[in-house]
Amino acid sequence: MDLTNLESLKYFYPEIILSGTVLLLVILDLVIQNKRVLAPFAALGCLLSLGATLQLYGTSEGWLFHRMVVLDNFSLFFKVVSLLAVLLVIWMSVGCHEIRQIYQGEYYTVLLASTLGMFFMASSTNLLMAYLSLELVSLTSYILTGSLHHNRRSSEAALKYLIYGGVASGSMIYGMSWIFGMTGSLDYAVIREVLHQGEANRLTLFMAFLFILSGFGYKAVFVPFHMWSPDVYEGAPTPITAFLSVGSNAAGVAIMIRFFFPAVSHLGEGGNWDFIPGVEWPHFLLMVSMVTMTLGNLCALGQQNVKRLLAYSGIAHAGYILMGLVVLNNIGLRAMLFYIVVYLIMNLGAFLVVIIVSNATGREDIEAYRGLAWRGAAVPATCMAIFLFSLAGLPPLAGFVGKFFLFAAVIKGEFYFLAVVAIINSVISLYYYALIVKTMFLDFPEPTDQEVAMTPTVFPLLLILAIPTVFFGIYWGPLFHYTNQSLGFFIK
Amino acid sequence: MTHPYFPVLMIFLFAGVIVVSFLFIAQLVGPKRPNPIKSEPFESGNPPKGDARIRFSVKFYMVAMLFLIFDLEVVFLYPWAILFRRLGLFGLVEMGIFLSVLIIGFIYVWRKGALEWE
Repeated sequence: MDLTNLESLKYFYPEIILSGTVLLLVILDLVIQNKRVLAPFAALGCLLSLGATLQLYGTSEGWLFHRMVVLDNFSLFFKVVSLLAVLLVIWMSVGCHEIRQIYQGEYYTVLLASTLGMFFMASSTNLLMAYLSLELVSLTSYILTGSLHHNRRSSEAALKYLIYGGVASGSMIYGMSWIFGMTGSLDYAVIREVLHQGEANRLTLFMAFLFILSGFGYKAVFVPFHMWSPDVYEGAPTPITAFLSVGSNAAGVAIMIRFFFPAVSHLGEGGNWDFIPGVEWPHFLLMVSMVTMTLGNLCALGQQNVKRLLAYSGIAHAGYILMGLVVLNNIGLRAMLFYIVVYLIMNLGAFLVVIIVSNATGREDIEAYRGLAWRGAAVPATCMAIFLFSLAGLPPLAGFVGKFFLFAAVIKGEFYFLAVVAIINSVISLYYYALIVKTMFLDFPEPTDQEVAMTPTVFPLLLILAIPTVFFGIYWGPLFHYTNQSLGFFIK
Repeated sequence: MTHPYFPVLMIFLFAGVIVVSFLFIAQLVGPKRPNPIKSEPFESGNPPKGDARIRFSVKFYMVAMLFLIFDLEVVFLYPWAILFRRLGLFGLVEMGIFLSVLIIGFIYVWRKGALEWE
């Protein structure tokens, strides 16, 4: 299926609804005095878009808009993930004191525009579209990061993010120009055919991939493109930190899978992908993966600020997720998708507790969590323990199952050294996650520590995130089935 | 006829004559009431002389940014105008949607007061 512009619109409802919501939000913000309606309106738009996305399951797959974007199960999966992330983040924003100081209209408009960019990141099959979508997500992320006005940390984070992102995407488009120079096309399908004829210079190709990886790596937070993440995560308003850590990260992984698998590899027998012969790219990714998880975990050990700690933990998790790419088969990709969903739930949950504590105390350091369970916040403290143990990968929580699939894929692919490094890393990470749990439960509060009360909007959300974290750890069948189904790439 | 580019040469000559004659006529018949600000070179509102590292108003950035956005839309209008007949109703509707999105942006800019200098 290769559709023209007008025919494509029929399969484009999720994006149309989201764009319409963005425009209506701008108008609503101008005409309505009561800004409290904006968040529910944005959420409604996302829900409608989610409905439209689910409707598209089962329709025929194919290229839309003259092969610019593709409709397949893989892109639908990431649309669902982005929408879930943004819906939960909107809910978090409503209960967050920090967000109330921000211009509401602009905040939700830009948030939804960012989600739209993530849609395209997962579905573009053209280098130009891939670059544009990545820029859309980046530009909106800069604005959201710096949206706390008269806050030095927030402005500093946004500026660092902007400069870093500018350089990374600049090198990325330079690498893309090399690919275009070697293949004469921006279209993924053509690029694959030309590259597999083996006429391209291997070193040039390797360098081009390296340049392109700088853009992908910066979105998905891999070493050595991770430097922005701790500062940005610390400075941004907490719901945005949560959004960046799951949404933008997932979209970065999506665009990367889309590029390294359907665009440059051939799908061989039994779900194994044949990479371009002679280009030792998977081995390079293997090293990046090991360095990423090790550096993330080691740096997290000494952090005093919980948002910063979660930023380094996010880098480590990006390293774990990258393991699925190294093995070059569908088992690894499936494990990645599974882990992305699980990571979304548990990481958003951890950030939600950060919001609850910072609402009550205005602080984000570990000291603020001292004896949290005995300060009227037994439920958030318990949930935080669940999320953190899940992030560490302890059974019977969802994080354990996710990690199990990733490690299993690596061991099946006979990358034993990588598996050993990953397991050692899991042990290291347990230390700093458990440290927070210890502070919350085993340390007793000082008389100066405030009581932590929850707002009524936050409590149901906490349960919505905590229950699946436990549930998927015990009964992961449906989620596994769903991710398995989502591996459908439309190739030709 | 002579060389096919002869009319172009004519245009150059004609333009030159007009420019020179306008300068002379202005010099001859124009009123002259100079003051220090008027006799400075024009720099779009900035003081033309002095240290380059000065603070200048963020409003210039705002104007430049808005100009860029609303000026660049013309890049999309030109190809559409050229292919207008071939694109037909579809093109008209599509351009209508594009322009209405831009107009929403314009109304937003206007209502938020970004076009006011003070």
